[in-house]
Amino acid sequence: MMTIKRTVVLLLLAGLWGCTNNLTVVGDFPPPLIHTLPKSIGVLYDDDFRNYIYTEKSEDRSKWIINNGNAQVTLFNRVLPVLFNHVEEVGQIPSLDAPAGTDLVLHPKVIEFQYSVPRETRFKVYEVWIKYNLSLYDNQGELIADWIVTAYGKTPTAFMQSNEEAMNAAVLVALRDLGANLSLGTPRVPEIKAWLQNHSASAQQASLEG
Amino acid sequence: MSERLLILLALITLQACTSVTIDEYKASPSVQIEQGERVVVLGRRHSANYETEPDLITCIAEVLGKDNDLIQVVSEREFVDALYPWFEPRTAPMRVRDMNRILTRAEVAERINGYDIRYIVWVDGNTETTSSSGSIGCSIGAGGAGCFGFGTWDKESDYEASIWDYQELESLGQISADAAGTSYMPAIVVPIPLIARVQKNACEAMGAQIKTFLNPQDIVIKQAGGSK
Repeated sequence: MMTIKRTVVLLLLAGLWGCTNNLTVVGDFPPPLIHTLPKSIGVLYDDDFRNYIYTEKSEDRSKWIINNGNAQVTLFNRVLPVLFNHVEEVGQIPSLDAPAGTDLVLHPKVIEFQYSVPRETRFKVYEVWIKYNLSLYDNQGELIADWIVTAYGKTPTAFMQSNEEAMNAAVLVALRDLGANLSLGTPRVPEIKAWLQNHSASAQQASLEG
Repeated sequence: MSERLLILLALITLQACTSVTIDEYKASPSVQIEQGERVVVLGRRHSANYETEPDLITCIAEVLGKDNDLIQVVSEREFVDALYPWFEPRTAPMRVRDMNRILTRAEVAERINGYDIRYIVWVDGNTETTSSSGSIGCSIGAGGAGCFGFGTWDKESDYEASIWDYQELESLGQISADAAGTSYMPAIVVPIPLIARVQKNACEAMGAQIKTFLNPQDIVIKQAGGSK
């Protein structure tokens, strides 16, 4: 009797799990075709970022669990080595006592993740919005710039494509959008632009005096 | 038995009708693709309400490259990846003069030139189901299973292709394709789909028209060959 009850409970749980869309985002990104900044950078991927999982908590919506941590780290690791002349991972934000071995340190954070599926809108597309907060420090831990980057991606529903495949494609488009923003937008952030100008000028001045 | 099978196969392979209307505007009469010049077909993805389907772009590229040695097509995915991030939905040039902005970067110009691109074809639009009606019910029992009912749905395609001359940086013209069709699904024990291939027909018609646009000589040669 006990075995039957257990089996029924297990079957119910399996049924519930079957209703959940469980996705680990998988994909690759091309290297950007951009100028390399003559600076080195350390990047801090904290556990929240590296293992980022979005879980839909609303009971009015279909249940989605989206693991995007690995894919977003892959994107940053694809873009940063082209944007800067040297990249390494660091374990903490630098300080006066523990300065970084690179010119700059970047600390990315996910602050918002949203999606919509065709059932919720009248458009037959899956959409994803991700909002990132990027903090850039100098090698002594002084904050140079703190800015927001948004990523948006959508993909049309396609015949014989599962919900997970369509959502995966939408997240990858959003991450490509983030990569485009990062590649083209980072040197244009006013504080970073000023810092780069100051540091290239001071470097030139120092080399002239030397 | 074999007769029944043949009837079933004939019913399955039956297609509903689609009507396609093609319009062409040609700004320059002297367009003629030359040997060694290549074409890339790209989909517009900037609209909030729809997305030009990647499979439509692949289909048009296939039609362009089929049955001729002159038109060589670079795949959309390969081109967009090689030029990342300059042809993404938010960064792609919307007008031909916007190309100047990205071509100021020597590495971008060099990469495009490496593909021997002469023509860039931008396709914008989508296919959508405009209405549907009817219902089909299926049931299963000890004696067997079966479906009964009737369903119908309408689909419409609306695409526009803009053709740019990459070497001269000018817009050469536009081709639009509007297609519409109604699909039917009667079910008497077995559902028999009579599908109107609206997107496929729009793709084939637009692909054929772009082919003629880029290589009008081909039509002259074919007509001359046919009149002999």
